Amino acid sequence: MQGLGDGYFVIPYTLGHYLAADKLEPVTTDHEAFAEAEDVAVGRLRKLLAVKGEKTVMQLHQELGKVMWDNVGMARDEASLTAALERIPKIRDEFWQNIRVPGTAAGVNKSLESAGRLADYLELAELIARDALQRAESCGCHFRLESQTPDGEALRDDENYSHVAAWEVTAAGTFELHKEPLAFENVKLAQRSYK
Amino acid sequence: MAKMTLNLVVWRQADANAAGRMVEYVVRDASPDMSFLEMLDVLNEDLIKRGEEPIAFDSDCREGICGSCGVVIDGVPHGPEPGTTVCQLHLRHFRDGETVAVEPWRAASFPVQKDLVVDRSALDRIMAAGGYVSFNAGGAPDGNAVPISKSKADAAFDVAACIGCGACVAACKNASAALFTAAKISHLALLPQGAAEREQRVLRMVAQHDKEGFGACSNEGECQAVCPKEISIAAIARMHREVMHATVCSR
Amino acid sequence: MSFPKNLTSVGKKILMGLTGLALIGFLCAHLAGNLLVFIGPGTFNEYSHKLTANPLIYVAELGLLAIFLGHLATGIALTLRNRAARPTPYHVKRSAGHTTRKSLASATMIVSGAIVLVFVPLHLWTFKFGKSYGAEGGVRDLYRLVMEVFSSPGYVLWYLVAMVFVGFHLWHGFSSAFQSLGAEHPRWDPLLRSFGWFLSVLIAGGFIAVPVVIFFAGGKL
Repeated sequence: MQGLGDGYFVIPYTLGHYLAADKLEPVTTDHEAFAEAEDVAVGRLRKLLAVKGEKTVMQLHQELGKVMWDNVGMARDEASLTAALERIPKIRDEFWQNIRVPGTAAGVNKSLESAGRLADYLELAELIARDALQRAESCGCHFRLESQTPDGEALRDDENYSHVAAWEVTAAGTFELHKEPLAFENVKLAQRSYK
Repeated sequence: MAKMTLNLVVWRQADANAAGRMVEYVVRDASPDMSFLEMLDVLNEDLIKRGEEPIAFDSDCREGICGSCGVVIDGVPHGPEPGTTVCQLHLRHFRDGETVAVEPWRAASFPVQKDLVVDRSALDRIMAAGGYVSFNAGGAPDGNAVPISKSKADAAFDVAACIGCGACVAACKNASAALFTAAKISHLALLPQGAAEREQRVLRMVAQHDKEGFGACSNEGECQAVCPKEISIAAIARMHREVMHATVCSR
Repeated sequence: MSFPKNLTSVGKKILMGLTGLALIGFLCAHLAGNLLVFIGPGTFNEYSHKLTANPLIYVAELGLLAIFLGHLATGIALTLRNRAARPTPYHVKRSAGHTTRKSLASATMIVSGAIVLVFVPLHLWTFKFGKSYGAEGGVRDLYRLVMEVFSSPGYVLWYLVAMVFVGFHLWHGFSSAFQSLGAEHPRWDPLLRSFGWFLSVLIAGGFIAVPVVIFFAGGKL
């Protein structure tokens, strides 16, 4: 829930393991990919600093966090998710038009750091809500109020949702769904009982 | 709940090369239930709205586990409550109208980057010098497959709790990182997985500690008094035993 | 002098602990010898003669000097390094209280050590290299010199002050030495610290007793 409100996520072990296990060759900043990445980064920093609007990063962060907390929490339904998907793009637009980031990019700037993280989360948050709306079943931590067993446990719809939903971001706010089907050969899908 | 006022005197420094100074701020209408860092956030929002530079400080988890936050409050790293980080400190521990000094960790090895933010990468370099096992220890083994006495497991756990915040350095009159280095060495020295590299670990980590410019330990114990995880200077005694063992026995 | 210099911070502290405990051992032996003055001139002078006439005294004195210089040089090197580790002072700094072991003694080791450094050569100048009165059988009458020196209020006051500093130095030094040598154990730590305090009072008090008693006895025991 802290992750939901803050946009704070933990990197999986797999990344650290990959970096530690692989022998990485040294690279220099002469590589063209670096120049490209640097341009994108500097461009974004400049853009964030240039808006000079009226709302602080913390204000907008709290607005987004509240929408996520209220609408995309542990129990969601079609109405709450639709409402979130209506609010989030508006907060995102306001961010890029009205954010105030003090200082410069020349040294330590905690507000600029937060602004960058919020810019990212404004995209990811919408995707989280979109994916939750698309998956009209309850599965694991994703609990759709419309999909419950008679005694209030998660009710899956294996016929329609036995897939991993991999979303491709084609532009901000535009997502394309790629389904990766899950075929269970040795394990039989069953209903877990927590009683 | 009644609101309170705090008079802060905060270290401001524009960047690593700038001269710094203590600046006064008044925080009004603060809730006693606010955490100290929340209070700084509120002050910063106000400063931003007035077109002033907000006070830069480090924080992350805001629940005493990540080791990011750390300021000296009225001369005590992490403030007046023992066994807590500053993000766990609440305003109810201060009197209404109290004047509170807020300074960064001070050490030659922790250069100030801005305001209350210091560079603690020296601690990372001590870790890189040996605070790990260099082989893949594999997944969690079956319970009791490798027998470890409970007292050793408990002692290892106690020192493994170190979050690398650097309060020990800040409190020490010699700006020594002995408690930190000792905690990291002890944790692995007590466990079987750390045994293979035990001797080279302690010698390398102590050498790196010295190279970073930290002072030596005078056995005053201010470090254990401010440590948010209440790590004991028994770890330092253990580190000294490890050094003696490694010096005499390593090949 | 490169040997102490090349030690790590931990190595230097171990050396401080070893030399410190050795010096405390020396002080205990020296105090025991000094207290013989209360028995009488015969015993005191004979003890002093036997000690200094033994050819091994040169080995012992050289060893003691090496230990003393090692302790001193390492202590200074550590203090310089420690001061350099915090170039910018805090505006406000207080002891954290709670489980701290900080004390007036621990905070002033370099000061009490400096007083000892001034005291030792003066002490040697006054006694070992001081006036040599003859006594029966070719034995030096050190007893007579001791009585003379401690009849002077200036000397007595100086010894009193110096011994108080020695007491403070030992109060932190004794328990600190064990911690530096890795000798830490929850059962023995409190006992060790109490014993350290007791030993400091005993040694400082014992050394102070000699000049004070002699002075108030009018230089005649």
